[in-house]
Amino acid sequence: MYNPNEKIEPINVAEEVSRSFLDYSMSVIISRALPDARDGLKPSQRRILFAMNDLSLYPNRQHRKCAKICGDTSGNYHPHGEAVIYPTLVHMAQYWAMRETLVDGQGNFGSVEGDPPAAMRYTEARMTHLGAALMTDMDKDTVDFVPNYDETRTEPKVFPAAFPNLLVNGGTGIAVGMATNIPPHNLGEVIDGICAQIDDPDITLDGLMKFVKGPDFPTGCALLGLAGIRQYLETGRGSMKVRGKAGVEELKGNREQIVITEIPYNVNRATLVERIAALVNDKVLTDISAIRDESDENTRVVIELKRDGNPKVVINNLYKHTAMESSFSASMLAIDHGRPKLLSLKDANVAYIEHRREVVLRRTRYELRKAEDRAETLEGYLIALANLDEFIRIIRSSANRDEARVKLLAFEFTRKQVEKIGILIRNETRLVDGRYAFSEHQANQILELRLYQLTGLESDKIGAEYKELITTIQDLRDILAKESRVFEIIKAELRQIRDKHAGPRLTQLVPDEGEINMEDLIANEGCIISITHGGFIKRTAVSAFRAQRRGGKGVVGMTTREGAREEDEGDFVEHLFTATTHDYLMFFTTSGRAYVEKVYEIPEMGRAAKGRSIANLLELRSEEKIAATIRIQAKRSGTAPNVVDETWDENFHIVFATRSGIVKKSNLSDYSNVRKGGIIAIQIEVDDCLIDAKLTNGDNEVVLITRDGMSLRFHEDQLRDQGRNTVGVWGIRPRKGDLVVGIALVDAQSMLLVAGENGIGKRTPFDDYRKQKRGGTGIITMKTGEKTGKVVGALTVTDIDELMLITTKGQMVRTRVKEIRETGRNAQGVKLMDLRGVEKLQAIARVVSQEETEEEEVEPAAPA
Amino acid sequence: MDHYSASDKPIFELIEGEGEKATIHPLFSIPEIHQKIVEIGRRGVQIKRFKGLGEMNAKELFNTTMDPNKRKLLKVDLTDDNAVEADQMFTRLMGDVVEPRRQYIEDNALNVRNLDV
Repeated sequence: MYNPNEKIEPINVAEEVSRSFLDYSMSVIISRALPDARDGLKPSQRRILFAMNDLSLYPNRQHRKCAKICGDTSGNYHPHGEAVIYPTLVHMAQYWAMRETLVDGQGNFGSVEGDPPAAMRYTEARMTHLGAALMTDMDKDTVDFVPNYDETRTEPKVFPAAFPNLLVNGGTGIAVGMATNIPPHNLGEVIDGICAQIDDPDITLDGLMKFVKGPDFPTGCALLGLAGIRQYLETGRGSMKVRGKAGVEELKGNREQIVITEIPYNVNRATLVERIAALVNDKVLTDISAIRDESDENTRVVIELKRDGNPKVVINNLYKHTAMESSFSASMLAIDHGRPKLLSLKDANVAYIEHRREVVLRRTRYELRKAEDRAETLEGYLIALANLDEFIRIIRSSANRDEARVKLLAFEFTRKQVEKIGILIRNETRLVDGRYAFSEHQANQILELRLYQLTGLESDKIGAEYKELITTIQDLRDILAKESRVFEIIKAELRQIRDKHAGPRLTQLVPDEGEINMEDLIANEGCIISITHGGFIKRTAVSAFRAQRRGGKGVVGMTTREGAREEDEGDFVEHLFTATTHDYLMFFTTSGRAYVEKVYEIPEMGRAAKGRSIANLLELRSEEKIAATIRIQAKRSGTAPNVVDETWDENFHIVFATRSGIVKKSNLSDYSNVRKGGIIAIQIEVDDCLIDAKLTNGDNEVVLITRDGMSLRFHEDQLRDQGRNTVGVWGIRPRKGDLVVGIALVDAQSMLLVAGENGIGKRTPFDDYRKQKRGGTGIITMKTGEKTGKVVGALTVTDIDELMLITTKGQMVRTRVKEIRETGRNAQGVKLMDLRGVEKLQAIARVVSQEETEEEEVEPAAPA
Repeated sequence: MDHYSASDKPIFELIEGEGEKATIHPLFSIPEIHQKIVEIGRRGVQIKRFKGLGEMNAKELFNTTMDPNKRKLLKVDLTDDNAVEADQMFTRLMGDVVEPRRQYIEDNALNVRNLDV
């Protein structure tokens, strides 16, 4: 269907796309997605409220069907479907979404759970007091009106906004290339801030923040991080953390439960509860046995804890893993003077103050005009009453109204005459050639006077009204003449709103103490860590073991697997040491890798329990076994939030020893960032394996002890710090068939304790061992033979220490060191414990008694 | 009209019609001249606005847009000359990166032809 010679215009794609895009994006930015800086409303919201105003849905009237409101809005002002208008209307009525609702809804308007509202044919609405306050004085020519989309009506470009809605209710919106996210604020605070800024336009942010402390969410909660709030108020953009409120309730039987009473703004409660449940199932959140949502109109989500769950730890995990702590990225973008602009708190106040100033001025001018019109009329009346007889004669003698009017217009009075009857000449131009004549308007008004108004009482009334009007006019003129009075009025009106409607702040502002340290929530307690040959780990409170006398049979320390005879199939405790719950444990595997774990992360179990698989806990590789474990005492300095972690002190070192006699030293600070999957600590040659590692302070001496009873003592300065991924150097050269079983740290106050597999042990002062150069074969430390058996372990001990002896059958005996006789280097030693049948001594470990544990906390982590 | 008080005198008069039928409209300001003329000009005329096809009768659609005698056909051209430019424009306006889009909107905000308010 082309015309034969139809003109076809070629257009450039790029140009067309660009133009259409600009039209679209600017339309969205200016008149859809972003609120106006003056009344804080987006066009759709403003149109709904204006339509409600048309319907006179004031707070004291009856509610009306939402469908009617949406239909009117759509038909009169907003050329979009009612289906998209209704959600906007609903949002303005949701008390959990708006700090001060603008619409008062009747019926189901949804819930904080995220339930949808009822359809608009069921619900009803009217304006709230504050919603109506936005339009106060709108009929007094305070704002500009523009024709609506079909030019059948006019609609306001902006509302007079008797309260600062932009800041009070905030808002969100996604435009094109830009978006806005304004948090709500407290009405009273914002008004106080604006009043302060009126008094001092150069007020500093600190000055303003005395009043406006930060956002105030309708859902309460706590805002963390004053820096983020400050940045937002200063620049209009800032991020802050919002934290829900959770408390702990005590139940009967010493159990506790967590109760969530406030959830962050814009978080859906049902989704939050689901999320918590999912995380419990995924084992991310532990110690939770049940979750119940007991909310009515107030939020109440109950989280039941398992018997020994720590509520503080669980709450902390809720903050960490769920929307109970959400971040709010504020960006106060609004339309200011027809352009989108990122507003600071002060800018927003300026926009509002300027708007109110214009509103007050325009309202005053309007009222003045009305007053002067009325004054004119009254002046006409006054003159008519003063010349009543003559006027009546003229009117009676006139043929028609027009003639009467013309005759009246011919009257002229001198200034004196009119002033005598109480008329004030308000404007000299009112007089023509010094004489006062009627205007058309006045003449008409006189002709329309009713007879009853000629009575004495009525004429007195007219006089009184005129006098009052003159005072009003003078007052209005004074307002227009004095800027300061305009501002006084703005303040007075705002304060009136504040006194009537402002409520207390709901959101608490708290300094961000950073991430809560788990250490702060967990008591620092002494415990014994045990690791079995089969790779199970657990921690047990020190108090669970009682000291026994030397030679006792011991309590069952751990049930190891059946048939635990020699080292072949059975399981037995291989490492045993003390620590406190805040410490770190460094694990070194036989293949030379290092892992780090916090002590409290290790499952606490009873004395007889087996423990948890260490391979699972540390995520060890399948072939790896633990060779050494070092306790690193946690050290912190400073107070929150400036805690400095000094745990990984570069003044400390780790000295490694391998079975073949290799030693290596590396710096502790190299291990501050051990990944979950572990890192290489020492390169181990084929056929060799790491047997132990010790923490040294840079001036320690170590003794290497072999299975055949040889030893070599040397100072650690014979070793230099090596990188993690290196091999090391010779420490002791064992004779053929011999191998290193232990490494001990030299301490002048301590002695070296060496134990043989037949339950024989001896302790010898370190002075008996002379210092040697590393790399030699060493000197004898225990005469090994039938009676002693091979050396199984060596320890640095003091008189007050206690020892834990572990047999291949899992028997554990705790004994005091001072009960073991001190002997020379070349001696065999004494019996440490009774061994039955084929049972052998498997390992020895030092036990730190509880009193000592507490002392240790104040000491540095230096090895003994 | 509310803007002016009863004591003001008109500064212009608009006389509509001739002789006997003439009506005089008092005018109190210069902008009112335009307003009044538009008002008088619109008398007896109905203005309709169409946002989309659903709002039109078939006949109206023909008259306004489809009539070969009145319509204007635009032909979108994609040639080697403008393909690169077009591609850049599409990437900028509809791509994943927001910043250049925002920048473009800001730079060209004043070139907008018609705003859908």
